[in-house]
Amino acid sequence: MKTSARSCGALLLAAFGAACGADSAQKGVVPDGPPRGELVAFSFDVSGNRLLKAYPQALYQSRDAGRSWTAIPLPPLIGEGTIVAVATPAKAAGTLYVGGRGFGVIRSQDGGASWRRLNRGLPARKLEALAAHAELATTLYASVAGDGIYSTEDGGESWKRMDGGPGAQVGQLFHSNLAGSMKTGWLYAGTPDGVQRTMDCFCGWRPAGTLLGQSGSYSVVFDPDEPRTLYASGGGGLFRSRDGGENWERLPSEGAQTVALAFDPAAEILYAATREGVILDSRDQGAHWERVGE
Amino acid sequence: MNRGLARSGVIGVAVLSLSCGAGSERRSDHPPRLDPAVVEQGRQVYASSCAACHGSQGEGALYWRQPDARGELPAPPHNAEGHTWRHGNGMLYQIVRDGWRDPFNRTARLTMPAFRGQLTPAATRAVITYLKTWWRPEQRQFQWEESRQSRFPPDTMVP
Repeated sequence: MKTSARSCGALLLAAFGAACGADSAQKGVVPDGPPRGELVAFSFDVSGNRLLKAYPQALYQSRDAGRSWTAIPLPPLIGEGTIVAVATPAKAAGTLYVGGRGFGVIRSQDGGASWRRLNRGLPARKLEALAAHAELATTLYASVAGDGIYSTEDGGESWKRMDGGPGAQVGQLFHSNLAGSMKTGWLYAGTPDGVQRTMDCFCGWRPAGTLLGQSGSYSVVFDPDEPRTLYASGGGGLFRSRDGGENWERLPSEGAQTVALAFDPAAEILYAATREGVILDSRDQGAHWERVGE
Repeated sequence: MNRGLARSGVIGVAVLSLSCGAGSERRSDHPPRLDPAVVEQGRQVYASSCAACHGSQGEGALYWRQPDARGELPAPPHNAEGHTWRHGNGMLYQIVRDGWRDPFNRTARLTMPAFRGQLTPAATRAVITYLKTWWRPEQRQFQWEESRQSRFPPDTMVP
């Protein structure tokens, strides 16, 4: 009878898991060999003071401003899809979220040794972007292709659909602490048509100025210490705004086709990455660039 | 053994219900019914102080989604087509009382004028209550949940 009760309990626990969207932890594994494919995500982790770059099935960190990189262990479930974004809460050192088409959102709080999948309420199969709130440690935003923006306030334990998104494919999403919002800040989205923004109450997406480049997938970052300063790359150019995205000026890009940007606010270094994962940095707000590690 | 199984099943279901119960309990929580007297007071306040810009039925300005020729955002709808329902009571109260300026306005004017000194706390609360009559049930639910963390100030009780 004890055995029956135990199996029955196990069955019910399994049912509970399915009903409540829980997912057991998976151990992280360091991938073999060099990364395959092109760079898909690039960011600076303020609380962890490190650069992060991701390929479809691999994630790397650098604690020396991009000169050397080490792989972060990822769970086998990564194989169900492809990474699209990495998000790190500003005030939760050591917490790392990875978003991917197919597997959704996963989180590690131990440097990649173990991961949990956090997709309750989130249509994870079509995830296209993920962002952490600029200040609130457990608030994140996810963009789902053809659907809209979802938000979580409990570190991914549950997600709620907020709106239909900016009406275009979202290549990158970030949350800004820029003042003047009716809630806690603003969301910016890099889309093929430029940059769009909304207050984080989701009171409507609007174009954030007009970029002078061609259509392309735009990467956009901001300076959390000067949130009116934004940088965008894409459409064959590199751009800077000093008024929250109303007006943009073209910056020199040294001929490199950079596809993603990251910003270290403490060191005031702007980083740009190419599709191949080559890193460039600028210590004068994008006026001059140097290849890192050369 | 069957009885044992059945018993453990009952316990399991109870555990399942308890564990998922937090969500179920939230779902069964609904916004309270609006007080007709407060709604009527709010309707009068709306007609005299808000309708000129936001429309008599809360429909907002015609092209409210885009800045106008002066670079200012026109008055948005307060009905189900707008986004007023996305804000908790506390934030709505603050916006009516203190006004709000869109930081991307091209003029220095407030986008929404401040009604401090023109509307009493009770009248402000009443007009916000009136806006809720235009929202769909799911919007009222959302706004009510938002209001848990964004409440009316304590001195706004309608007499």
